[in-house]
Amino acid sequence: MPEQPGGSDAPRQVALVTGAAQGLGHATALRLAADGFAVAVNDITDDGRLTELAGRTGGIAVPADISDPAAGPAMAEAAGRQLGPVQVLVANAAAMAMSPFLEAKPDEWWHQIDVNLSGHFRVIQAVIPGMRAQGHGRIIIISSGWGVIGHPNATAYAASKAGLIALTKGLGRELGPQGILTNAIAPSFIDTEQLRVDADDAGITLDEMRQRYREQIPVRQLASPADIAAAVAFLAAPGSGAVIGQVLQPNGGVTRTRA
Amino acid sequence: MTPGAAEGPVAVITGAASGIGASCAGLMRRSGWRTAGIDLNPSDTDLPAQADVSDRAAAAGAIDQVAERFGRVDLLVTAAGYYEEGIDVADITVAQWDRMLAVILGGTVNCCAAVLPHMLSRGEGSIVAISSELALAGSATDLHYVAAKGAVLGLVKSLAMEVAETAIRVNAVAPGPTDTPLLAADSLWRKPDYLATLPLGRLVAPEEIAHAVYYLATEGSMYCGEVLSPNAGAVI
Repeated sequence: MPEQPGGSDAPRQVALVTGAAQGLGHATALRLAADGFAVAVNDITDDGRLTELAGRTGGIAVPADISDPAAGPAMAEAAGRQLGPVQVLVANAAAMAMSPFLEAKPDEWWHQIDVNLSGHFRVIQAVIPGMRAQGHGRIIIISSGWGVIGHPNATAYAASKAGLIALTKGLGRELGPQGILTNAIAPSFIDTEQLRVDADDAGITLDEMRQRYREQIPVRQLASPADIAAAVAFLAAPGSGAVIGQVLQPNGGVTRTRA
Repeated sequence: MTPGAAEGPVAVITGAASGIGASCAGLMRRSGWRTAGIDLNPSDTDLPAQADVSDRAAAAGAIDQVAERFGRVDLLVTAAGYYEEGIDVADITVAQWDRMLAVILGGTVNCCAAVLPHMLSRGEGSIVAISSELALAGSATDLHYVAAKGAVLGLVKSLAMEVAETAIRVNAVAPGPTDTPLLAADSLWRKPDYLATLPLGRLVAPEEIAHAVYYLATEGSMYCGEVLSPNAGAVI
């Protein structure tokens, strides 16, 4: 598409991607950079990957734990000072723990809510003033298919991701009149590093894990991180200015079969 | 007529002569696709076929002609339709109901049925049906239109599942009120009082619908029965 956020003479627009050290956050940062954004990249720590990524995205590394109330304001300030005000926020960082509901410890529950829901609440609050000052912005929230249809042994994660969908709709309505568009994406199984962890947990090979997941997906195909990054790029593009409060579901039909 | 590409993927767009269909055809063409339009009127496409999509044989004939000319069909966009508003449900005549269903639902079914063999033979393709935001939320004084657009969503979700294991994807775009000739100058949807209820306070531009169609057609391989709704906040 010949649609870029700005012409060659325009200053580069600025995006902030949380949870960008690996997986879909990493792919998203690279895609937005390819589409012309300067991308500030966050993850809980920087083991070198964030700095390396920031070098490729023309941005900066802003490592922080988003459940820390100081993190959002600090990232918005650093990005604003070094790159310019954040115009696109990709709220992607997440924590997940699987356990049967009755065995889930309260601190496991609250950790997932604190990161996935409250953490992004704070990051979003921190970037809104800059978006308001410019009269436009895009907030793109990575929810989950499990936030749409639920999942056994993942109640806290599903609740946090369902909360993000309600947050998306509320923010869509509240901020739309100010030119700030909020939308969500609900992926399901993605071919990321997490699959290796899942395979080890299940005591099977990576290929067996992929096959086990494919069987749960109507299109029999795992999403690639690039597929989800493309959904982000679509929502960040100038042509998507009428998309507001929506939940895109590039999950191969997983949420269509069980909703 | 503007010249089109000599090779490249092929899009068939119904209702290509105006409004959303014309916007889709224009964007696909500017992006290097070869385009064929099916419309009652001539369209600015590489292969403008004049046919009534509610006529199964005519729709099939037009699509077969596209496949024969270009050797493939990568994308079908079903945008053909029309709109009638301001009719109390009790006053919708049987003829109005039948015609609306025949064009919007029948036209979609006819074109899907005609294009699928071509896509199945190559094992890939994409169908994007244009529905309406009204089908998601319901509406008053245009029940026959809304019922037809709602039925299109049922068709899309079921057909998407039926071909899910192939690389053929079937999805819908459900536009909000869009600034096209379909909306009369005195349409309810153009009134400032209505627009003020929308979070974005404006009509959707046809180019914004084309943008969503293009995305589903080019990077939408993980969507299966999706309903993507650029609607300016009319339905959240």
